[in-house]
Amino acid sequence: MTVIHPGGSAAQPAPFEMTGGHVRLEGRDVLRGIDLTVEPGDVLAVMGPNGAGKSTLIKALLGLIPLSSGRTEIFGAAPARFRDWKRIGYVPQRLPMGGGVPATVREVVSSGRVARQSRWRPTSAADRAAVDSALEAVGLSHRARDSAHLLSGGQQQRVLIARALAGEPEVFVMDEPTAGVDAASQAALARTLRDLTAAGRTVVLVTHELGPLAPLITRSIVLDHGRMANDSAALTAHLSTETGTPA
Amino acid sequence: MTEMLQYDFMRIALVMAVLIGLTAPAVGTFIVQRKLSLLGDGIGHIALTGIGLGLLTGNSPILGALLVSVLGAVAIEVLRARSRSGADVALALLFYGGLAGGVLLTNGQDGGTSLQSYLFGSISSVSATDLYVVAGLAVAVLGIVALFGRELFLLCQDEEVARAAGLPVRFLSILIAATAAVTVVISMRAIGLLLVSALMVVPVAAAQQLTRGFKSTMLVAMGIGVLSAVSGLAGSFEYDLPPGPSIVLLALAVFVAAVIGGTVLRRMRTRTVPATADRPARTSVEAEAEVLGG
Repeated sequence: MTVIHPGGSAAQPAPFEMTGGHVRLEGRDVLRGIDLTVEPGDVLAVMGPNGAGKSTLIKALLGLIPLSSGRTEIFGAAPARFRDWKRIGYVPQRLPMGGGVPATVREVVSSGRVARQSRWRPTSAADRAAVDSALEAVGLSHRARDSAHLLSGGQQQRVLIARALAGEPEVFVMDEPTAGVDAASQAALARTLRDLTAAGRTVVLVTHELGPLAPLITRSIVLDHGRMANDSAALTAHLSTETGTPA
Repeated sequence: MTEMLQYDFMRIALVMAVLIGLTAPAVGTFIVQRKLSLLGDGIGHIALTGIGLGLLTGNSPILGALLVSVLGAVAIEVLRARSRSGADVALALLFYGGLAGGVLLTNGQDGGTSLQSYLFGSISSVSATDLYVVAGLAVAVLGIVALFGRELFLLCQDEEVARAAGLPVRFLSILIAATAAVTVVISMRAIGLLLVSALMVVPVAAAQQLTRGFKSTMLVAMGIGVLSAVSGLAGSFEYDLPPGPSIVLLALAVFVAAVIGGTVLRRMRTRTVPATADRPARTSVEAEAEVLGG
């Protein structure tokens, strides 16, 4: 998936690159002309008030919501042509109840391996090991056999993060992982995020407030009414020098 | 019990009941989680037109039902994906068209008795050939569940996550609808088209009162399916009742027992498991209400 530039040097394409991204939903302009490149290793916080288009932006980056104009690429390919989905781990806002059929924590987390599994191959030792370490990372190993829907909101959020971790992707896209989450889960999330950034993973996360995540963020953008109000890599430089204390 | 095994048609019907009891809840687990509990009903209506076409053209009614109901299921899925608002009415049109078409086409062919047997099930008319067809279809359905189970699980959990994992979401949606259509055809001789969907939904609704996982729900539902299909059939032979309603009422009785058993089980669990500091996001009582609601 590398692009050879005319000069001859091979460069890794950016995980996400959107130019002039415009999304119209039910007659309303939700995103208006977003230009955003997420570089490998970025830990990008997408911030802004309710209804600013934060979730729409990350869904548009993943190709889950089509652009009405502009274009977006995942590792250099249009979402419809992108095939290497095992490089991406998407953490949605919540675990849908669906029709109410229960699923154990382990079943939900195991489903994060699906992009790495072939249809004809049974679950391997590597699959099981990845699920085990994902459960460990979010501190839910002891709840593996419980019904995921009966956990608290914060624990469910950790289950969703563990599902993405189990797929061992390079890029994590998280929709409000801290919303309505108890202190223990926030701490678990911050710990997980620290391990990911230490391993050089790329993270895009939507959030209202940074809280304990602030020291880990390398870049933040603020959306307002579907426009980018602020792109501050500067905040980053500032924060990284003052380890632990947000400005 | 031994008396009814002396009849050829009962031996065939009992094997069929086991196959139906296994397949309908297996597919039903995905259908229920996808909030398509009434899909089987709709397909049942459409299948009737297939039966009418089969009888009219002198072909096998099972073959006609299979063809038309799979096409109908694909049409339903395409309509659902196209538009959320218009799909509801389009589905209704398809269902009523299927039912009306079936009644008209079967009208005048051996006095409507065959229509009655397809609507509510009849076992005395089942032949060995029917059994072979049903057995083949049942193997196909269980094979699809085994092969695509992992992908279908994620699809039914969260369609967006499935798409962001690179799964062929449209293909899988059509696959599960078509598999439901095949299941309807498997079950129609014994249970009847109007009740066929009950065996996809009721055992699953009963099982999820007692289980914590998806796979365990499916396995328990299959157990309940086989139990109610076989004992419903035996009861209908013993007391000369139509098999479909007997099977469905038995499954409903299991559901009621499961609700009571599940409540007791949850009380015991909450007493033994120390309560966590944070509140549960949803209770299973809410989940239950959602299933019952549709």
